[in-house]
Amino acid sequence: MEYKPALPEHNDNVSHDQPVREFIILSAGITLFLLGVFWILGFCIDLAVARISPGMEAAIFASAGVPGPNAVASSDPRQVKLQSMVDALRECGGITSPLKVSLIDSNDANALAFPGGRILVLNGLLENVRSENGLAFVLAHELGHFKNRDHLRGLGRGIVLTAVAALLTGAGSEVTQLLAPTATFSQAQYSRDREELADEQALQTLACYYGHVGGATEFFEAMQARDQEILPGFGHYFSTHPEAMERIDNLHRLTEEQHLAVNAVLALPEVLDDRERQ
Amino acid sequence: MEQLIIFAILISLGYFFGRRAEKNHYKSILEREKQWLRLPTSSSKHVMGDIRKIDHCELANGNMVVSIDYFKRVLAGLRNFFGGNVQSYETLIDRARREAVLRMKESCPDADQIINLRLETSSITKGNRKQIGSVEVLAYGTAIYFCK
Repeated sequence: MEYKPALPEHNDNVSHDQPVREFIILSAGITLFLLGVFWILGFCIDLAVARISPGMEAAIFASAGVPGPNAVASSDPRQVKLQSMVDALRECGGITSPLKVSLIDSNDANALAFPGGRILVLNGLLENVRSENGLAFVLAHELGHFKNRDHLRGLGRGIVLTAVAALLTGAGSEVTQLLAPTATFSQAQYSRDREELADEQALQTLACYYGHVGGATEFFEAMQARDQEILPGFGHYFSTHPEAMERIDNLHRLTEEQHLAVNAVLALPEVLDDRERQ
Repeated sequence: MEQLIIFAILISLGYFFGRRAEKNHYKSILEREKQWLRLPTSSSKHVMGDIRKIDHCELANGNMVVSIDYFKRVLAGLRNFFGGNVQSYETLIDRARREAVLRMKESCPDADQIINLRLETSSITKGNRKQIGSVEVLAYGTAIYFCK
């Protein structure tokens, strides 16, 4: 047998497909798959949440370690005042089960609806509202979350997100990096819808309690000033609280549609007025 | 958000540099393969052609270690979910094999032929995910020198 040296005409050992095309198809497929998973699991969570009564919720979260080390003493006059405000708003907010308010020392301006019938108020909030009505709107917003059971839905979705992320980390860390924003995005999108619903209910609570909705946008106006400082033009799709501007517009629109009155606001109760003190 | 931007930068860097390196490497491989066509190489255990007196023979070897770029690694990671051909690794291994054979030939330029060619592959990373994924391809054979 004679040896004839020759070069191969074709390289059959490599594929000549477009790698970028493959990349786009694969990542689009997996993104769609993930969004589907979140949607289905979210639906299951909503079903489960509908079956958890406030009493059952209180029993489940009785041992939860809130409010944590930064909480102010329960005898603090600010906390007592906040508690009485929440108790007064509860009837208008349509909540029958008791809610406990905890004031937390923090520079962040926020309030959170926490499983187990707890509202956490972060201290920074008090510096960003000017009137009792403005503060009442934020508290009523959290009441809205309780009424819609958003705190449980949020917790359930958080657990799903963590579980799916852990699952993906097992398969390859680079891919997790690619997909993490998808998860955050779908979570953020969902939260925005829930926030808007809670805003709408807070507006009604305010109208029921004070007879008008003056001061409703106060907190968001203060937040808007801060948002623009931190994220000029960016972060719209990744913030869980829809940008202040949008929420203010939404509140104005609702006020107009439902013919709600806007009257003068009441001054912030003296015990709560942090700005005066500093 | 920042995470996504960093990721996009890494992946496009990986894509463009990886593509350029691959293109240049293939160009060099094709040129050198043409040049080394004059050195017959086979996997047969017997000397090829007419029976001639052998002066001496020696072991010739060449190897190459090659690593994958970020883009291809992510693409292979995505493939992990769906299964199927991991096409992004194909050119990598192909280049490593051909380069190793070329280096083996270049190590014995005066040989008349190389027989008993063997190729071995070993993974340097051995499943350690945090490290850079790379493979080694070793080509070795017997270089035959006929009497002049």
